[in-house]
Amino acid sequence: MTRIDDRIRRVDAAEKARGEAVYLCDVKMEGMLNARFVRSTIARGMIDSIEVPQLPDGYWFISARDIPEGGRNSLVMIAGDWRCFADGDVRYVGETIGVLVGPSPAVLKALEKEIRITYTEREPAITIDDAIAVKGGPILEKDDVHCSLVSEKGENVEDVLARADEIFEETIETGFQEHVHLETNAAICCIEDGKYTFYISCQCPFYVRKSVAGLLGLQPSDIRVKQTTTGGAFGGKEHFPDVLAGPLLVAESVIRKPIRLVFDREEDMLYSVKRHPSKIVFRTGLDKDGNLLGSDIDVYYNCGAYLSSSYVVLQRGVFHANGVYDFPSTRIHGYGMATNTFPSDAFRGFGAPQTLFAIETHLDHIAAKFGFDPVEYKRRYFLKQGDETVTQGHVVEKVVLEEMLDQVARKSDYWRKTKEYARGGGRGIGMSFYNHGGAFTGNGEQSIIKAHLKLVKDGDRFTILCGQTEMGQGFRTILRKIVASVLEIDMDDVVYDNPDTDCVPDSGPTAASRSTMVVGRLAEEAAMQMKERLDEEHVEIETEYRHPDGHPWDQSTFKGDAYLGYGWGCACVEVEVDRLTNEVKVVGIWSSHDIGKAIDELIVHGQVNGGIIQSLGYASMEKMENRNGHFRQTSMSDYVVPTSMDFPRQEWGLVDNPYEWGPFGAKGMGELVFNGADAAYIDALERALDVTINRIPMPVEDIEGVRHD
Amino acid sequence: MVERCYVPKSLEEALSIRKETGAHPLAGGSDLMVQYKQGLGITPVFPFPVMIISSLDDLKGIETLEDGSILIRALSTPAEIASFEGMPYPVRCAASRMGAVALRNTATIGGNLGNASPKGDLPQPLILLDATVVLKSQDGEREMKVDDFILGSKKTALADDEIIYAVRIPRVEYTHVYYRKIGTRRANAISKLSLSALARVEDGVVVDFRAASGAAGPKVIRSHETEDILKGHGVDEMDSLMPAVLEGWNNAISPHAMPEYRRATTRRMLEHFLSSIAAHQEGGIIE
Repeated sequence: MTRIDDRIRRVDAAEKARGEAVYLCDVKMEGMLNARFVRSTIARGMIDSIEVPQLPDGYWFISARDIPEGGRNSLVMIAGDWRCFADGDVRYVGETIGVLVGPSPAVLKALEKEIRITYTEREPAITIDDAIAVKGGPILEKDDVHCSLVSEKGENVEDVLARADEIFEETIETGFQEHVHLETNAAICCIEDGKYTFYISCQCPFYVRKSVAGLLGLQPSDIRVKQTTTGGAFGGKEHFPDVLAGPLLVAESVIRKPIRLVFDREEDMLYSVKRHPSKIVFRTGLDKDGNLLGSDIDVYYNCGAYLSSSYVVLQRGVFHANGVYDFPSTRIHGYGMATNTFPSDAFRGFGAPQTLFAIETHLDHIAAKFGFDPVEYKRRYFLKQGDETVTQGHVVEKVVLEEMLDQVARKSDYWRKTKEYARGGGRGIGMSFYNHGGAFTGNGEQSIIKAHLKLVKDGDRFTILCGQTEMGQGFRTILRKIVASVLEIDMDDVVYDNPDTDCVPDSGPTAASRSTMVVGRLAEEAAMQMKERLDEEHVEIETEYRHPDGHPWDQSTFKGDAYLGYGWGCACVEVEVDRLTNEVKVVGIWSSHDIGKAIDELIVHGQVNGGIIQSLGYASMEKMENRNGHFRQTSMSDYVVPTSMDFPRQEWGLVDNPYEWGPFGAKGMGELVFNGADAAYIDALERALDVTINRIPMPVEDIEGVRHD
Repeated sequence: MVERCYVPKSLEEALSIRKETGAHPLAGGSDLMVQYKQGLGITPVFPFPVMIISSLDDLKGIETLEDGSILIRALSTPAEIASFEGMPYPVRCAASRMGAVALRNTATIGGNLGNASPKGDLPQPLILLDATVVLKSQDGEREMKVDDFILGSKKTALADDEIIYAVRIPRVEYTHVYYRKIGTRRANAISKLSLSALARVEDGVVVDFRAASGAAGPKVIRSHETEDILKGHGVDEMDSLMPAVLEGWNNAISPHAMPEYRRATTRRMLEHFLSSIAAHQEGGIIE
């Protein structure tokens, strides 16, 4: 019998470790063809001509002109502006112009080189500053602003700033980040039983069919999507698989043979979505003693050429812009800027990490200026249960930040070290606090997703049917464990396979730290109902998301409870800096998280370790530069992610704070653990070198630029 | 889609193929296979004929010769070099930190020199030690300093009919030695910058002083002119001579990317080494 507190070996661990798991590139079909994208080589301009060479028999070139009458050249993500094929003009380097299809990858590559595309180039806008200046003329109708919103709380912030003794102004910036999922993006499109069918490495199979159906004038239910075992995603396979699926579907409608598209690593680096770079401008009013009066914050995210899901990313950024602090007054403007870079999209944290890094670093700088210990300064403003949020809603759950701080401070010996390590002494300790709103922002869960899950009993076997995917995070284990624990049976008697949209109800995307919290809850409820009917041979129970009463949200004004529960975190990092070379050695990492309750401690431990290392990579070495629309880092040797040698063993802890509407009291946690170690690292680095850092990443050569010796 | 691929069974055959076809030697393949890869599911395409020489025993093995020099034959891997007894400290350091374990068991010293990447790890300590490269052709053998063999980024003095046979490291006496590689991360890293330096101090006099900078220009940099500033002077003169050495070195290097970082860090490392000589006259490895 499986109990919820057992430490479980992940159900997919052995097959993956042994190399037995079948990934998309392992799938072979009779008569299968290969595909190769033909992409824009310029960031912005008109396509004057496309000259395709005479194609050998059995080879095709498919482009926008192959979209049939009644079809729309649009990939429907959250917005529908991303085109399946560039048509007339191109808006970023790597935009899909066409797809070559045929048997031999080598021939496809040779044909690609022979295709001549001529352009009339226009000056591109690449950075947020370019977009603000509308460089090269507006990308959109009148300017370069894809989307914007404002959140306010307290008094009018201009009045607050007018009476402040001091206004602390600064700008904090973050860079691109590449997902580097181990398995690159890949998909197969074919026709099975007369129906267009995808095999695809993805997070959200229902997203894929919704996104591409309109290309052929079809309904989503006309398309079947089967998720294949997915080797990592981090958000990079939330909407981006649509960009592979769209052209494949159009090609399939013409060719009608199985077509496979597998990106190699270089394509996956150069021509895929990234985390939004950000620029966050603070004007913070302080009294003469350094007390916070209020802050006016402008948040700019570089969304790239298409809006895609960026408005929601921006909303999350704005809603997390005061961090875990109760600012008496604030006004936050968010701007999603259009540029001619590859569209930015989902990445673990979904807009929250940028503003959380910025607010932590900003408060560290204010504390340093007034001579306060940063932790002492920040804890004065910790949010508490019932406090007003920046969306004029309220913090629903009990907040246990003080307890988490205490846990981390004891393990790290923070209070002694913060006093003993002189600023600029080469050694530093830093701490950060952060949170992450669980599940979809605003009314997403109740109005848009309306998740469903089905639990089926056949004799002694129980099958979970839902659209959630395993992508390495451990959800297959989690969901089986929840159901088995409620039913008091063994996990081995619970089946939960990779989803197939023709066989499972739509439980919403595997994203937004919602799977355990929302879908896990549906599974728990279904299992509880099932428990009453165990004497029956065949039972089918379907559960549906219900929004808890008393938590209003107005999507037109963005006011109310943006999230029904937050995960909370505290991370501490200690560093030693080599003054000769600027190399930073991290000598200690400590963390504490409130995730409600851990469904499986081993999986949570893996997520904590991985999230924190990914965040430290983001802050230190993961540099992705873009020149004239081209990403400069093309491989895993020049886009550098940390190895296990880079950071020491972590000490971690959890606080028990069960969440009312989660299964067994669990809340979301997959993104939370990414959201704060970056700021703790930079805090420690600033103290070690006595410098001020206003941007990440900070590799050794950039540390040189902030040193003043 | 290899233009032509040969698999010689002996060094003589390899030299003959090299002369007749100009085929490029391919050993571990850790540079060539990456450089000429075509993407997923497509065989690498070489714009020249290649010969796979990895089975040639004549090109394998490391030994200490009678005069105390060390002969490292071309197919020696970084793993073998790093574990060879008596290997000079900077060479051992460079070899033991190249790439990942798999690469250290696959790459070869011949390939690392032949590829002549500015970021290559082995040339830097070899040039510090005045190591030579032994080149063979059907017409015989010639030997030249590694510093003369590598002409610039990806350029060498290898003739069309020659192959790299071995590297010879002469016996170099030193009392103080320093090696530092700053990689993109702590393991499996490409060099952002490296420096090695050594000095021989006898009775308070600097008899020998050398330094070599990697990844600070199109090829490894030495400056005999700058080295000479110190030679023959007492350690007690270090403070007064140091500015001239640092300035000379700064003028010798020519980093085109991250120039500020590479210049400042090289200067700090060299200054650290020179100060350590004065402070620790008994010698040893300077950390």
